[in-house]
Amino acid sequence: MKIPPFKEINPPTKDGFWINKKTKERFGGQYISPLLVPNLKRVEKGFFKAIKDKKFMRELNEELLSFIGVNTPVHFSPELTKLAGGEKKIGKIYLKRTDLHTNHSHKPVSAYSCCKLAKYLGFKKILTETGAFQNGRAVASACAALGLDLDIYVGANDAKKLAINKDISALHGANIIEVHDSTKSLLPAMAAALRAFQSEPDSMYVVGSVAGPHPYPLMVRTFGSVIGRITKKQFKNLVGKDPSTIFSVCGGGSNMLCISYPYLKTKNTKIYAVESAGKGLKTGKHGATIGGGGKIGILLGMQSKVLLDGENIAESFTEASGLDFSSIGTEVAFLQSVGRIKFLTATDLEAKKTFMMMARKVGLICAIEACYVIHAAIKEIRKIGKPKQNHLIHLCGAGEPNVAQMMEHMKKNK
Amino acid sequence: MSKLNNLFKEAKKNKKKIFIGFVTSGDPNYKSSKEIIKEMTKSCQIIEAGISFNTSTSDSPIIMEANDRAINSGMNMNKTFKLIREVKRETKTNTCFVIMTYLNPVKIFGLKKFINQCNFVGIDGVIIVDSNLNSPEEKILINGLSKKKIGYIKIISPTNDDEFIKLSIKNCRDSWLYITSYFGLTGSKNVNIDNVKKMVKRVRNYSKEIPVAVGFGVKTPSQVKQVSKYADGVICGSSIVNKVAEGHKKRLKGKKLATFVSSYVKKLSRGIKK
Ligand SMILES: Cc1ncc(COP(=O)(O)O)c(C=O)c1O
Repeated sequence: MKIPPFKEINPPTKDGFWINKKTKERFGGQYISPLLVPNLKRVEKGFFKAIKDKKFMRELNEELLSFIGVNTPVHFSPELTKLAGGEKKIGKIYLKRTDLHTNHSHKPVSAYSCCKLAKYLGFKKILTETGAFQNGRAVASACAALGLDLDIYVGANDAKKLAINKDISALHGANIIEVHDSTKSLLPAMAAALRAFQSEPDSMYVVGSVAGPHPYPLMVRTFGSVIGRITKKQFKNLVGKDPSTIFSVCGGGSNMLCISYPYLKTKNTKIYAVESAGKGLKTGKHGATIGGGGKIGILLGMQSKVLLDGENIAESFTEASGLDFSSIGTEVAFLQSVGRIKFLTATDLEAKKTFMMMARKVGLICAIEACYVIHAAIKEIRKIGKPKQNHLIHLCGAGEPNVAQMMEHMKKNK
Repeated sequence: MSKLNNLFKEAKKNKKKIFIGFVTSGDPNYKSSKEIIKEMTKSCQIIEAGISFNTSTSDSPIIMEANDRAINSGMNMNKTFKLIREVKRETKTNTCFVIMTYLNPVKIFGLKKFINQCNFVGIDGVIIVDSNLNSPEEKILINGLSKKKIGYIKIISPTNDDEFIKLSIKNCRDSWLYITSYFGLTGSKNVNIDNVKKMVKRVRNYSKEIPVAVGFGVKTPSQVKQVSKYADGVICGSSIVNKVAEGHKKRLKGKKLATFVSSYVKKLSRGIKK
């Protein structure tokens, strides 16, 4: 299948804000030190030039199809349909198999595209951060393919947890820098990568989600929406119409926005995002920015919804490193605030149980992040409880990196 | 005219330069920090007090550690205002006070409330590192602060283009333009004198009057002296904060820690060409 062209259907202002006209809330912007202004300008100008450059886009699309393998299937899941109550009660559940990409998650699509942009603009080196090391690995592979140097910033705690993808990144030649600031997780890793961007004018920063200063959120969802554009066509071909619901997990919100973006103006398709409730929302130990009552704040170059602790950013907590983030992407926060996206949560324990269910009943080893959405989706689909519905769940990653963590869970629960 | 305006104007008339010391407020805790700042008023014409933000994106590790110490000791915006107020009352100092922070703490505290508190306490200037020239928050702050004759200070660096420098001069009200001598984080490198010369020249193309002060990487009295040849003011930050950390590690507290830090600040300040 050819990649359908990109259409801008939810543009930000020229300063990179999405504005809720009713509440006057603004999401996005460029809240950065003056030192970063020239770099961001270079990236922004280059991005708009590149997406209008037919040769660049044709090459990029070809490489996304061949090298990343973006043409992954959408298929009916008889097991999940049955588990949710059967076709007569809930309709049908379909899976989008983004786990089948090269490097096994959605991250390679925007990672490869952004690295290709960096090369197009003449940068020699990439700076990025990672939580679950899915982004780290995706960028490492892209940099190897494109001949770029790479520094990956990772929270010291995450580096310990996800050994396989860290090793794979190192095998690709990435330089891995452990960050020991504050929570030693994704948030300080991203702050560290942005700091490095301020000290190395010849390196380009690549973000792992739809977050950060303008134009990053716009760039990641524009490039990443390849996933949604293909999905929309596949689903139409397979089912004959658009899905009634789309469910995705939301850490920063990139996999959610990348699959849902082409449906933003599709009225009959409801869009759901699932956050990690960690040990439970009530315990305060969670990674649910919206579910946990996040407020407007300014961090990492953007204005968005944030979990706050007084004037500072609160710690998030979840066993899924990819969801361990106290904020969400700017466009995601906007879409939530205008009511286009509905938010749900699932706990760490529910996700781990779902991981085992998927391994035993469906035969798939899913990224732990994807298990939050599968759990919450089944629950919500039961609640909707209408036949003739077509539900789509985004299986955004494969679970190899979580094997050690899950073996421990299995042993404990024997 | 604002107090900062006056200070720079008088200095120019008398061919003198201004020494500016930065320290993180509440580092290592409220009590010791207050003593440090009280002592610093003796050798600094301007004190920049940093208000910590735990997700800062432009601070060097030295400042980040200071942020952690301050936050862990319970420091916040309100307490910084209280601390500066007490210092001013107890020392009756002439030293100007400038607040340096990030936008999140200000926004959460409330933009209007922040402006009013600055006015009430007698803050002379404000630097917000990640406030952007075309963000709505910046407009509210500039207008609100200049109505109260409080300076708004903008930072520029060698990689910024002329357009940006012009706009920064325009938005820099009743205060000085903060020039960073290199591209990078506070205190991560040594001051680059060539850049200082070039930057001052570039600014002078667009404004003959605006005072310029240079920071980032000024760590020794001789560097202070060198920089003061070209700039109206010299800012020392990381090396002072480093001294606080050093004293703290030696378990110095209160007045003892303050003396330890301020004797170093005094040495730095003597680098200013008299
Ligand atoms: C498999 C997987 N899913 C989801 C996420 C969460 O990120 P986002 O919400 O930006 O897609 C991650 C992040 O690392 C991930 O690795």
